[in-house]
Amino acid sequence: MPLFGELFVSELLKKPVLDPKGDELGIVKDFVVIKGTSLPRVSALILEERKKLYCIEWENVGIFNRRIISSKVYSPRVEPYKPSDEILMIVRDIFDKQIVDANGAKVVRVNDVQLEGQNNDACVSGVDIGMRGILRRLGIERKSEKVYRWLGKTLPQNIIRWSFIQPLEPKLSVLSLAIPKQMISDMHPADIADIISGLPHEQGIAFFKGLEPNVAAEALPELDDDLQKAIIEDVDKDYASEVVERMPPDEAADLIADLETDKAQEILELIEEEEAQDIQELLAHEEDTAGGLMTNQFIAYGPDITIEQAIENFKVDAPEVETLYYIYIVEDEKLKGVTTLRELILHSPHVLLSDIMETKLKTVSPNTDQQIVAETISKYNLLAIPVVDDEEELLGVVTIDDVMEVLLPPSSRRKRRAV
Amino acid sequence: MRRRKVIVTWKKFLLFLAIIGPGIITASIDNDASGITTYSVAGARYGNMLLWTLVPTTVALIVVQEMAARMGVITGKGLSDLIRENYGVRATFFMMVILLIANFGTTVAEFAGWAASMEIFGLSKYVMVPLGAFFIWILVTRGSYRVVETVLLGACLLYFGYVISGFLAKPEWGEVLHSTIVPKVKIEPEFTMLSIAIIGTTITPWMQFYLQSSIAEKGIKKKDYKYSKLDVTVGCLITNIIAFFIIVTCAKTLFPQGIRINEAHEAALALKPFAGDYAAAFFGISLANASILGAIIVPLATAYYICEAMGWETGINKSFEEAPQFMWIYTALIVISSLLVLIPDAPLVLLMVLSSVLNGILLPFVLIFALSLINNKKIMGDYINTKMHNYISWATIVTLIVLTSAWLVMAVVPDLI
Repeated sequence: MPLFGELFVSELLKKPVLDPKGDELGIVKDFVVIKGTSLPRVSALILEERKKLYCIEWENVGIFNRRIISSKVYSPRVEPYKPSDEILMIVRDIFDKQIVDANGAKVVRVNDVQLEGQNNDACVSGVDIGMRGILRRLGIERKSEKVYRWLGKTLPQNIIRWSFIQPLEPKLSVLSLAIPKQMISDMHPADIADIISGLPHEQGIAFFKGLEPNVAAEALPELDDDLQKAIIEDVDKDYASEVVERMPPDEAADLIADLETDKAQEILELIEEEEAQDIQELLAHEEDTAGGLMTNQFIAYGPDITIEQAIENFKVDAPEVETLYYIYIVEDEKLKGVTTLRELILHSPHVLLSDIMETKLKTVSPNTDQQIVAETISKYNLLAIPVVDDEEELLGVVTIDDVMEVLLPPSSRRKRRAV
Repeated sequence: MRRRKVIVTWKKFLLFLAIIGPGIITASIDNDASGITTYSVAGARYGNMLLWTLVPTTVALIVVQEMAARMGVITGKGLSDLIRENYGVRATFFMMVILLIANFGTTVAEFAGWAASMEIFGLSKYVMVPLGAFFIWILVTRGSYRVVETVLLGACLLYFGYVISGFLAKPEWGEVLHSTIVPKVKIEPEFTMLSIAIIGTTITPWMQFYLQSSIAEKGIKKKDYKYSKLDVTVGCLITNIIAFFIIVTCAKTLFPQGIRINEAHEAALALKPFAGDYAAAFFGISLANASILGAIIVPLATAYYICEAMGWETGINKSFEEAPQFMWIYTALIVISSLLVLIPDAPLVLLMVLSSVLNGILLPFVLIFALSLINNKKIMGDYINTKMHNYISWATIVTLIVLTSAWLVMAVVPDLI
């Protein structure tokens, strides 16, 4: 017998289940769920009768609604149920657990589970994460509604469709759908970082491992340094190196510097040579200096090329590089000047870079203190500042978002919780 | 060979330094306004007689805090999360209501302590309490409170002043030692109330939540758990050593004169003739520091635990629309507590001692939940309690229940004895 419409699991708990003769078989204790065609579906009911548990397969359930639940089997033939950790149950495994709402980009707690009739099945269609769910569990939803109405307010519904949900317990992963995973990949890295830092360590690791290396590499630098380190130490080295390889080299170097020597070596060996070299170079500098903040990915061309050529080259180089607005002009490895993307677009294509470049430019040395770097960037309204050595050789650039943390008060830096 | 050993020891020490914190910090906050007041009142009223209660209290404190620390390390989750995930909405709701009431009492006590300490310096509470409340609220919602927290925790080093003043008071150490080791009991409500208060102010429900969350937050690994254990043990010892010296000081200076304290600033003023001007100022500053630290942390922690357990939005930088429950619980705790303290002739010391007693009554519930969680193999794996642990924890719970009921009976029908 199908289920019509929708109902909540908490409304069914402790309801008596009757056999065809009208005898009580027990009260509803839990629901077994399995992977369904689209949504997870209920495969059996768990009943309790005199402290013993019984199981009724979904095929043997007759009437199933808010008022009456009946079984097609007679009381002596009901199978006893042996508790098992293998199967998944709504009350035991989903109720009260944390899950990721991929649509709202946050971690929420399950207050109740909604079931919906689909063909002959009862499917898990959504989870209630709102006040209503809590009040329903406490058995005071109706009364509270009256109080709210008396106050001139309505109790809001707060239900998330199951298709937007990413469960966190590894056990529940069979029930997860493809959509939320895709949605998480599309999230802003800062939102992903928020989710990870909001989770207990082990679940955070599991969630991180589930991310595409590209996505993970963008999200990781958004986390607190200690957390970055803890995560990289806990995932296997292949995945770790794939992620580190895709990180901007300055962020990767900061992370590698924090790791224990063995682990760092292990990861560096697995990373592609070119990227590993970039990281190695940056590792030589003190953390709180310009050298420690800078990235060695930047755009630099010779003075003798035309704007047309520069723009062609730019199209090839741009995807690799973090800061695009400044184009540095380098001759014999020495920094000669800078120009901007705007200048390139505004001038005619045949002009040489040496004609439009600004030669009086602000630079810092690798040993400059980060505070001074930050102040210089702020004072001259720059988006990035080049780092040069004594021979004027361009080593890297420090971008404004690298120094943002130095300028901001400690409280507004990305650390999750206060207590 | 020798050199290598030194390096290994040094490395271990560094690791310990990285992991310590939660235990010792919790311990510092533990000696809050009601703590300092309760110990002073106990010393002034009964001299050294109540000193012995500190010994079982320390043991019990170490046992229960170690459990919280262990759950934090192994599960990486806070106590309220664990209760919610394993016992459902009803139990959690019940627990959170209790916690809210108890922490409301504690917050009142913190503001009362703040008011009292300001009165020692002749500053009106009608100005200083609203100012303090406003300061705390702004500080936390504007989000630079971590810096202040660090400063205030540093100021907790002040408490070692109690140790010094304890020595300066020149007590008869023989008698002090005797009272510490040999239990003495007086059958009267005030004695029972003070012994419950001493336990209640030292072992508090909110502290169990606070410690477990901060350890979970730190992400300490299982293999480093032994350092966490050391951290907690050292913290507990510090808490009670300071309590010990507060009692000793008041027992030496106030008790023989027959001075009974009713208000906290009286304690400071009463100390003046016997212990000098500095003692009064010292008492005032310590009390102010302890109170304001507690008033910052307790309401904030309460709002966090309740909202996390119920699945509501949390965060100090959120607006009332974004995180309504969190902001309202936090704001209401501060506003109502400070208003209560402003009621003219509010008996502040009584309020503070009462809050300790309230916490003492509520503690068994928290511990029973903690015990059943920590003995669950599914959650704790190989780290469940040993038999010895369970015996001591049950002994603590039973003692608390007995003491509390005894006090209630004596308070309601005093003619019984």
